[in-house]
Amino acid sequence: MDLDKLRKTAAEVVSRDDVKYLIGWRRGTFGYRVAPHFIEDAAGVDELIFSPLCIANLANYLTLTEKLPVPRGQEADTRKVALLVKGCDSRAVAQLIVEKGIKREDVVVIGMPCPGMIDWKLLAERYPETDVAAEIGWKGEDFLLVRGEEEITIPRAEVLAEKCRLCRHPNPVLSDITIGEAVEPWAVAEDSGVAEIEAKETAERWDYWEEQFSKCIRCYSCRNACPLCYCEDCILDRLDPIWVNRAVNFSENTAFHLARAFHLAGRCVECGECERVCPVGIPLGKLNRKLARTVREEYGFEPGLDPEAEPFQASFKPDDPEEFIL
Amino acid sequence: MSAMLLNKEKWSEFIGKLSGKNLWAPAVQGEVKKYAPVAEGETVELDEGNTTVPPKALLFPQTETLYRFSTGKEELEFPGLDEEMVLLGVRPCDARAMALVENLFRWDFDDPYYLKRRELTTLIGLACNEPELNCFCPSMGGSPDSTEGLDILMTDLGESYLLETVTEKGKAIVEEMKDLLEEAPADALEQKEQLAKGAREKIRRGVDPDGVPEALPQLWEDPLWQRISAPCLGCGICTYLCPTCYCFDIQDEIEGSAGRRCRMWDSCMFAEYTKHTSGHNPRPTRRERTRNRINHKYSYFVDKFGVIACVGCGRCSTLCPVNIDLIDILRQVKAAQ
Repeated sequence: MDLDKLRKTAAEVVSRDDVKYLIGWRRGTFGYRVAPHFIEDAAGVDELIFSPLCIANLANYLTLTEKLPVPRGQEADTRKVALLVKGCDSRAVAQLIVEKGIKREDVVVIGMPCPGMIDWKLLAERYPETDVAAEIGWKGEDFLLVRGEEEITIPRAEVLAEKCRLCRHPNPVLSDITIGEAVEPWAVAEDSGVAEIEAKETAERWDYWEEQFSKCIRCYSCRNACPLCYCEDCILDRLDPIWVNRAVNFSENTAFHLARAFHLAGRCVECGECERVCPVGIPLGKLNRKLARTVREEYGFEPGLDPEAEPFQASFKPDDPEEFIL
Repeated sequence: MSAMLLNKEKWSEFIGKLSGKNLWAPAVQGEVKKYAPVAEGETVELDEGNTTVPPKALLFPQTETLYRFSTGKEELEFPGLDEEMVLLGVRPCDARAMALVENLFRWDFDDPYYLKRRELTTLIGLACNEPELNCFCPSMGGSPDSTEGLDILMTDLGESYLLETVTEKGKAIVEEMKDLLEEAPADALEQKEQLAKGAREKIRRGVDPDGVPEALPQLWEDPLWQRISAPCLGCGICTYLCPTCYCFDIQDEIEGSAGRRCRMWDSCMFAEYTKHTSGHNPRPTRRERTRNRINHKYSYFVDKFGVIACVGCGRCSTLCPVNIDLIDILRQVKAAQ
C-alpha cells in the first residue's frame, strides 16, 4: 500500500472547492481499533491510514450524516463528500446510487483495491490488545503486526475476516480515483456458516435463531451500521402505530431482525458491518448472506455491481423464477 | 468488617447453598458474558474480566411490566416483587454503579420497582486481580477492590476466597455459611492487600477527571463535539451496556381488551429520544446527543448528586464499533479547556 500516494491524493481532493470533506480511517486510540476519520483540510491527511484493520464501511456515513433544514437566508452546502472505499464498500455506494439514496455526482469515490481485512477479535485471541494502537500491514499474502522492535507475521488464514474469506469483489466496482493496483480475486471459500444452518432440521433451525435473537438488546447498532438501512422514518422508531413493540423479548426481536433481513434481500452487499458491530454476537451475516445467495442463484442478480442497474425488488422480468410461489 | 476464608474445596458446597436463594452469576454464552441464573446442582466458575451486559439488567430490567390492565376492570394488577436474589461475582465498578444510580431512583420520587429489587438483592462482589485493557476505575474514584454498593467482597487468593463482610445483609449470608468458612488469618489479609495493590498497578489507561465538570458548560459550542460525534453510529451500545445509564421509556402494550404498561431502557443516543410530538427535535444530530451523553455523566449528575456518573468500567470504549473512546473524549475535553 502506497500510503504517501494515498495521503497526497487525499490532500488534493479535500483541497478542491467542490469537496466538503473526505472520510477515511485513522489509527484508533488503543489495540486493534481504527476510527473513521473525517478530514476537512489538507492537514488532516497526516493521520489517514489504510491497513488490514480498516474494515468499517464508510459508505454508511453518506446517509447517516444528518441533513438539517437550511436556515432562511443561507444557501445549502452542495459540495461533494469524498470517501475511501474497498470493494465491498464500493458496492454499497453503487447500490445507494441505484436506489437514489445518493446521487453519483455528490460523491468522490477513492477506490482502494483490498487484499483482505483482519477480524480483530481473532487477532486479539492470539495477540491480546494493548493500550497502544497497533501497527499492522500486509506482507505478501499474510499480515504483519509491528509491536515496537518486534515484527510478527500472521498467516492470512488465521485472522482473515469471514466476509473477506467469502469476498468475490475485492476491487472497487466504481471509483473516481484508484490508489494501488487491482488485486487478484482469491478463491472464495464455501459459506460454511450458511451451509451449517441449512443442514439443520426446521425445528433445530428455529431453536438456533431463537437462541440468537433472544440475546438481542435492540441497541440497533446493526441497523445503524448498515449502509443500506437508511429509511428516514424507520418502522422500528414508529410509536403510532407501533409496528414492533419496544419490549425486548424473543418475539419482538425476531420481528425486528426478520423485517430487516427481508428489507435487505437483493440489496445487501455483504459488507458484514451488521455482524461486526453486534455487541452480543448475533450472526446476522449468515441471515443476510442466505438471502443474498437466494437472489443470486434464483435471479442471477447481485446488488451493488452496477450503479445503472434497476433495483432488484422494483424490477420484473417475465422469466423470473416462481418455484417458491405456493 | 469481618474477614473469613472459603477454601476452594468447599466452593461447590458454597454455591449449592447459595443456589437455593435465586442465585445469578456471570456465565459465558457464545461470545458474550452475562449474568445467568444458577440452578441447584450447577456450579459456577468465576474468571477474570467483566460481563458484556452489566448486572444493572437484573435490578433495572431492559423491559419491565409496571402493571397490567383490562377493560371493565378498575383494579390494576401489579407484579409481585418479593423474590430475594443473590448476585455473585459482581465487579466493584458495577456495584459502585448501583450505589450511584440509587441517587436517581431515590431523587424526586422513590421508584418502588428499583428500590424494592435493590432491597431484595444481595451483592457478593469479586475483587479484580487482573483488570482489563480499558478498566480505569481509579480515575473515577473507584478501585479494583472497592466495597461500595457490595454486601460481601470476595478476593481470589488462589487456593481460597477471602470474604470480607460489608453490610448486615452480607453478615447474614456469612452466618449461614459459617460451617464452610474459617476465620481469615492475618497473612490472608496481607495477601489480599498485595493483590489489590498489584491490580491497581496493572491498570494501564486512565484520565484525571479533575476540572471536567467545570469545563463542560464552557465547551457547549466547542468544535470538539462535531469531531467526536462524526463517526458515531447513533446506536445504543455505549448507553445500554453502561452500568450507570438509567434512561427509560414507558409504553403501553395492548392486545384486545387487556394490556400492560411497561418501561424499557432508552438511549439518549437515539434520534427519537428527545423528539417532540410536533416533530421538532432539540437534539437533531449526533453532535448534540454525544454532547448530552458526556454532559449528563460528567456535569449534570455532578450538579445534582455531587458525583460523576461513571465508574470507569470501560465497556463503552471497548464495545464501540467505531472507536469512540470515553477516555479519549475526556482527554479532549481537558485539552480544549
